[in-house]
Amino acid sequence: MNPSLKFLLAVLIALEISFTSTWLVNLGLAVIGLLIILSSRPTLKRLAMLFFVPLIPALALAVAILLQSNAGTHFALVLFTRIYAYVFVGSAATLTTTVTDLVMSLEQNARIPSKFAYGFLGAFNLLPKIVSEVNVIRAAGNMRGQVLHIWSPQLYFKAILASLDWSENLAEAMTSHGFTEGAPRTYFKRIRIHWWDWLIFAGSLALLQIALFGLHLR
Amino acid sequence: MKYSNAWHLRDIILLTLIAIFFGVIYWVVGPLYNVLTVALTPIGLGPGANDVVMGIWVMAGPLAGYVFKKVGSATLGEFLGSVVEMFLGGQWGASTMISGVVQGVASELGFAFTGYKRYDWFSLNLSVLTTTIVTFGWDMIRNGYAQYHLGLLIALFIIRLVSTWLFAGVLVKAIVNLLDRTHLMQTQTR
Repeated sequence: MNPSLKFLLAVLIALEISFTSTWLVNLGLAVIGLLIILSSRPTLKRLAMLFFVPLIPALALAVAILLQSNAGTHFALVLFTRIYAYVFVGSAATLTTTVTDLVMSLEQNARIPSKFAYGFLGAFNLLPKIVSEVNVIRAAGNMRGQVLHIWSPQLYFKAILASLDWSENLAEAMTSHGFTEGAPRTYFKRIRIHWWDWLIFAGSLALLQIALFGLHLR
Repeated sequence: MKYSNAWHLRDIILLTLIAIFFGVIYWVVGPLYNVLTVALTPIGLGPGANDVVMGIWVMAGPLAGYVFKKVGSATLGEFLGSVVEMFLGGQWGASTMISGVVQGVASELGFAFTGYKRYDWFSLNLSVLTTTIVTFGWDMIRNGYAQYHLGLLIALFIIRLVSTWLFAGVLVKAIVNLLDRTHLMQTQTR
């Protein structure tokens, strides 16, 4: 499916189930999400994490409703399944799409300015460098007997200084490779929206409405 | 000082890099949130963990707003932070982006209310207030906070306000003060 439409669909579904309380629909969405995740052949570890990690907030919300409100077990069940629907539907989109494909699709299909698309992509590819920079900053602090915690302004300050430096370099590098802001571009890899993309998009949303109304009226 | 509202390649890269740093830091905080939630769940206060760490989740927005001083920078900073967290394999998949937008718009409101003219302690505190109110409203719908007894609801709101103030207010101000002393940011948003 087209990456832009896929993410839009996932977000719209998540939004819609935030305002409805039909646990069967939540469960159904979670199962569909899980099937899509399974089709992407995730590692066993990742799959275990996907089941285990949402369990924490899902249980927390459900127990809180049972103990701290008069909303009853039905609403607790709704919240519990809602979290799983969020995570599985959301991960179904992220696990089946690469960052590059999403950004290219956003540029070509959603008409996001190319400076945003390539600026984001360029910065995103520095991710491993950033993770190691955070470690370097903390190690450098430790060497001076200065422990940098999550609440230490110096940690963020140094991170921003590094970002300033790199953004300058990267922007210059991109410009010197011929990137021009606002200039028309041709594409090496064309990403299109096919008729079946629209069909899946509209069909899924229509099915969701039918399921919600059907179960609501029952 | 007059600030331009146009986004240039360098600003976009810088904003994304800052968002990634925060995304990495959010990701590091993930386990803390989980441990806290597990500890509080048996007494039915599990969701409170969300309010305790809320300040850390929403730091990128006001910082970006303050550093870039452009319309939309807080929203964009927070949103990009959530996108990065999503691809790092944060807990929530694509739904993270919804929280990102809600939190981004929430902190943006604080700067919008001053007409993007004031960038000081006042607008930062206003941003803290709008962030707390808007994200709390969102949790009342999404996480069923609206069903809690009034006492708990007020307690959670106060915890969230304090957390947001400490991280998105005091800490962001401390970071910005350090940055101001370097005079590096002035040439940047011209």
